[in-house]
Amino acid sequence: MTKLGEITVKVRVIGQRVAREIKVPQKTRIADLLDKLGQNRETIVVRLNGKIVAEEERLADGDSVEILPVVTGG
Amino acid sequence: MRCSFCGRRAVYNRRYAGTLLCDRCMVKSVERRFRRAMGEHRLVSPGERVALAVSGGKDSVSCMHLLTDYCASKNCELVTVTVDEGIKCYREESLPIARENAEQLGIEHFVVSFRQAFGVTLDKIVKLAKRKKTEFNPCTYCGVMRRSLLNQAARELGADKLATAHNLDDEVQAIMLNYVRADFSRLHRLGPKYPPREGFVPRIKPLREIPEKEVALYAMLKGIKVHLGVCPYAGGIHTEIRDFLNRLETNHPNSKFMILRMFDRMKPKLAEVVPEFEMRKCEVCGEPTSASICKSCELLHGLGLKPGRKTLISAKSLVNIAAS
Repeated sequence: MTKLGEITVKVRVIGQRVAREIKVPQKTRIADLLDKLGQNRETIVVRLNGKIVAEEERLADGDSVEILPVVTGG
Repeated sequence: MRCSFCGRRAVYNRRYAGTLLCDRCMVKSVERRFRRAMGEHRLVSPGERVALAVSGGKDSVSCMHLLTDYCASKNCELVTVTVDEGIKCYREESLPIARENAEQLGIEHFVVSFRQAFGVTLDKIVKLAKRKKTEFNPCTYCGVMRRSLLNQAARELGADKLATAHNLDDEVQAIMLNYVRADFSRLHRLGPKYPPREGFVPRIKPLREIPEKEVALYAMLKGIKVHLGVCPYAGGIHTEIRDFLNRLETNHPNSKFMILRMFDRMKPKLAEVVPEFEMRKCEVCGEPTSASICKSCELLHGLGLKPGRKTLISAKSLVNIAAS
């Protein structure tokens, strides 16, 4: 159940099969969500509702966040 | 979030510069930095033949697209070379992507393999190294032998320059790794280009001042098809240094550039502590080396394998390999 002042976003890390629904406070920035997920912004590109965006964008209820790891090494 | 230059929606926050960039400005900025590096360090001269090492990953494929236009404007000829190390379920996925991009751009693409040159794949080498409990990890074998084979292929293709797609992150990781190992000799050799030495095709790094994430964004925004797989042997100290540098950059933007700038300023001083050495030919395979036997032959010998390699002979034989 979503608490007052909270929003739910759908998060999918490309390469992982399962997408998750995560509850975060309203007006959370993508950068804060990445911190919560332990993802380093230097190593990923984020698509918000299908579009590449800067990590400073704020999330809204029902947003879909795709995290694409781009630092592959090797 | 709006682009600092044109007001369109931003796709990237370039925190080290305090600017936001939209898709168009991001692509333009990467292209401008690439051209600036090419011009500032005079990485190629008009009329030269440039061989680019292409794995199929985002860096080398982006570099292929950037170099294609640049070489055309300078009347240079661009050819691409892929080294197939023999890594199951990895190189066989990236190689067709390298080939597809080269075909799309109308560039010749050659493939040279560990199996063809050294008679053994990296997978087999890693198995042998484990069994023999050698002190070296897979990256050591792969790095030494791949560099050597690329040089051989570039030389036999008659290239004046060998371009590699090392980005800012790769270069800073190499600087830190050589610091950690106190390897003055390897540290001294880092830079945007290597000076010519007998038997070596001078190497150039056009993406040296472009962060890895920006290269990835460039490829994505341009719709370039790239391979984003992870090498199954990646790990060890290289990964630890990479993760450390990314944490540092996140908490203190501009750290990577500062490490690079500091190194570039110190580099002339390093020449005073790195002894000059005479280039010789490897007694086994004839490739250039500072010792009597080159590192590739030494590594193969250490595994109980027959050192040496097959000559690729001529560009014509390489074409045949590419076609087979």
